[in-house]
Amino acid sequence: MFITTKIADLVQIAPEDFSKESFVAIEDNINAKYANKVVQKVGLFVCLWDVTWTSEGQIGHGSGLVNVNVEFEMVVFRPFKHEVILARITHQTEEGIYLGMDFFNDIFVPAAELPDNSEFDTTEKVWVWKEEGQELYFDNNEMVRFRVIGEEWHDQTPTGPVEVDQTANQLLPPYKITGSMKEGGLGCCLWWE
Amino acid sequence: MKILEGQSNLVSNHEVYEHILEQQQKNRSKNRRVPPNQFTLTKDLLTYLRTKPGPLANQDKTHQYSTEALYELFKKLREANLQSDLSKGEMLMIINLRPTNVAVLSTVVEDMLERFTEDEQQKIIDIITETLGFDEPTEAAEGEENDEDAAPSIENS
Repeated sequence: MFITTKIADLVQIAPEDFSKESFVAIEDNINAKYANKVVQKVGLFVCLWDVTWTSEGQIGHGSGLVNVNVEFEMVVFRPFKHEVILARITHQTEEGIYLGMDFFNDIFVPAAELPDNSEFDTTEKVWVWKEEGQELYFDNNEMVRFRVIGEEWHDQTPTGPVEVDQTANQLLPPYKITGSMKEGGLGCCLWWE
Repeated sequence: MKILEGQSNLVSNHEVYEHILEQQQKNRSKNRRVPPNQFTLTKDLLTYLRTKPGPLANQDKTHQYSTEALYELFKKLREANLQSDLSKGEMLMIINLRPTNVAVLSTVVEDMLERFTEDEQQKIIDIITETLGFDEPTEAAEGEENDEDAAPSIENS
């Protein structure tokens, strides 16, 4: 589910942070910049894992900022393809089930990837798996196991002004995971205890 | 910013969990605040990792996961002489999910029925529960029932 990613970046320490130890100032700087951010094709950054190398601090002309070149490793949330992970059902529609993981909520299981013989109960707004005469409900807030089958990246870099009628396309999540619950052992954890 | 290596290593949930706790402890002892975005994410991540039936739900109490326990798991699986080796990704999922029955194990291990005999599947499960422990699902349910039973009796008295 998690990987580490090696990054090189320029860290600028502002004079108000000079009271901190330099390592702590670098750490805070990196975390403030990366934690809880998605970088395209890399994943969702969690926090700093380790600093592997730093240069000497240098002060440039015209500002009191200390410039340090740093190489470091970040913990990144990036499940690999076919990985099985736990998540919670947040809400459901006829198109499928939306899952969340407290810190990451852009997971979707389309109707075609639900177990065979699943039906959407329009009054209760939940999916039901009808298996061997039993009715198994996908209740909201239930913990489920799902398999990662795909990922989508949407660059959110701002684009230039566009014609009014073109702005209708809403902002897509920067990182979206598509899941499957088709096989045995997947779906609500309670079913397989 | 320059990405030197997109994926330098895989890390298990347990490692991330320990890393975050260690950081928090260090910051608390120095009475230091972390950037707000990091605070939000690590808080939510810990909530997620501590959610049942995740294997780290009772980690603070039981300390079932440790470097020694994982070492033991690898050693025992190697000694079990399985006819097919478990891949790195499969091992990672075993550690992250701790499957305690064959149905769940089959999701984690690709083509399990062809690669392992029934005895071997059971053996893998036994090694997992032996080294990484397991949470009694019934125990928690019973506890809740008892609480429910207890509530009306107080009202009656």
